[in-house]
Amino acid sequence: MGSGRRSRAALEHARVKRAGALPWLLLGPIAVWNAVFFIVPLAVMIGHSVNDHGLSLARYRDLFTTPLYLSVMQTTFEISLLVTLGCLLLGYPVAYRLATAGPRARTLMLALVLLPYWLDYIVRSYSWMVLLGRMGLVNRTLIDLGLIGAPLAILYTRWSVAIGMIQILLPLMVLTLYAAMLRIDTSLLQAAAAHGASPSASFWRVFFPLSLPGVYGACLLTFVTSLGFYITPALLGGRKDTMISQLIVTVSTDMLDWSLASAVSVLLLVVSLAIVVVYNRFFSIDRLWGGRA
Amino acid sequence: MIVRLGRASQGVLAGLVLLYLLFPVFVVIAISFSSATYLRFPPPGLSLRWYAKLTASDEWIQAFLLTLQVGALTTIFTTLLGVPAAFGLVRLDLRAKALLNGLLLMALVTPAVIRALGSYLFFVRLDLVNSVFGLACAHTVSALPYLVINVVASLKGFDLMLERAAVVHAASPFTAVRRITLPIIAPGILVGAIFAFLSSAQELLVSIYLMGTVRKPLAVKMWEGVRVAVDPTIAAASTGLIVMAALAFATASVLHRRARRAALAAG
Repeated sequence: MGSGRRSRAALEHARVKRAGALPWLLLGPIAVWNAVFFIVPLAVMIGHSVNDHGLSLARYRDLFTTPLYLSVMQTTFEISLLVTLGCLLLGYPVAYRLATAGPRARTLMLALVLLPYWLDYIVRSYSWMVLLGRMGLVNRTLIDLGLIGAPLAILYTRWSVAIGMIQILLPLMVLTLYAAMLRIDTSLLQAAAAHGASPSASFWRVFFPLSLPGVYGACLLTFVTSLGFYITPALLGGRKDTMISQLIVTVSTDMLDWSLASAVSVLLLVVSLAIVVVYNRFFSIDRLWGGRA
Repeated sequence: MIVRLGRASQGVLAGLVLLYLLFPVFVVIAISFSSATYLRFPPPGLSLRWYAKLTASDEWIQAFLLTLQVGALTTIFTTLLGVPAAFGLVRLDLRAKALLNGLLLMALVTPAVIRALGSYLFFVRLDLVNSVFGLACAHTVSALPYLVINVVASLKGFDLMLERAAVVHAASPFTAVRRITLPIIAPGILVGAIFAFLSSAQELLVSIYLMGTVRKPLAVKMWEGVRVAVDPTIAAASTGLIVMAALAFATASVLHRRARRAALAAG
């Protein structure tokens, strides 16, 4: 009897041990990889940002006292805000249409929305360069229609940056909104209709308020992604539309000032992570993971 | 009536938005067949001269081969690391999961320029700059979330009873996963791997920082081309990428549909 108890204990022990090793085997490699190739580089960068012939915060002081850097930060926020609003206004109707469409139309629309998502940012910005130039298709069409007398300056302004960035981020906005809308209980809409609510009343008083958490989540994700854009503003923007990523590239590769570039990067990183923490607080990351099947 | 009008105007609006999303793609394809040496849409005439120029150019071919190398390595690393991680995220009940989820989301939203600068500053010390292996290591960080998202989604749709049935019939849990689970979720893994490859092919800043100007992957070569933007060669290269992305996307959706049908049949 004594030996039986001992063997059972040994068995339990073996099982616990195996369960103890499995998580390490499954999650260990990816954790180590991300630590070495993601977290350590960030740490090295933070080290550079506070190293000015010894430990110093001088680069951060420069950052907040130089008008040029402050105006780049302001521009970055303004453009990201404009892009987020544009994506929401264009994306909400599409997401709503997706959420209420039949299965065939839904599959087709999803494919169309996803297709450009996987095309290179460079390619898409290049295409806008052709379309929005002085004698590009947009200006020629407007002139032919008699709407304008002389070509408008669209390219290399904030508008061309917004047009290019919204086109790139719209799929992200649509898919996130769509995933949120699918979770809305449609029987509530039927209940509203049964109690005599008009379609527009049931949309505005039932569906829209229920979709708001999804709207906030999608806007946070779009905004945080906009903050770090480089290719589109570099190709489609003018000098006044310089965003923070461009500043980091110029400071590091042209001025070779690695510690200032690191300080700007740390600032961008902190702001981005703060937004992600807010997102994660209210919308579990699991949603993002499960949201795309 | 009002409802129908509302539906119609919604449809028109959604159509216009889709046009806005897709039009730039058509423009690039059209320009790649242009006969003109300047950029104009619609093109004044048609020709294949830019494709001829592209395939005759050693630089473009080198760039393409480098992208294939780095992309293939990235895809292998990502799959080997990401598939076990997805199993862990779906099947284990651990507090560490939240940490890993956080790390993956962080890698997804960290701006490319920060990853580029950080890896450069770190890799310089390791003498990993200008190395295909080093570049693939850095690309793997940003490719992993895409693969994990896809494999997690497949695993969530997988019927655990199939695996339990195999274990009941005396298969070891490891054999059950290898013989039953992996073949069923294989399309999800493949889709994730395609996304990982495309993510690597599109990395511009990380490639610029880690490769210098010595060897240029396709993204860097295209970037330099766009900045001097004189002729439609870039459009031809882009169209090549569009075709690759479209093929990848078509493969992915066919596999997805087949897997769903198989799952329905099994259920």
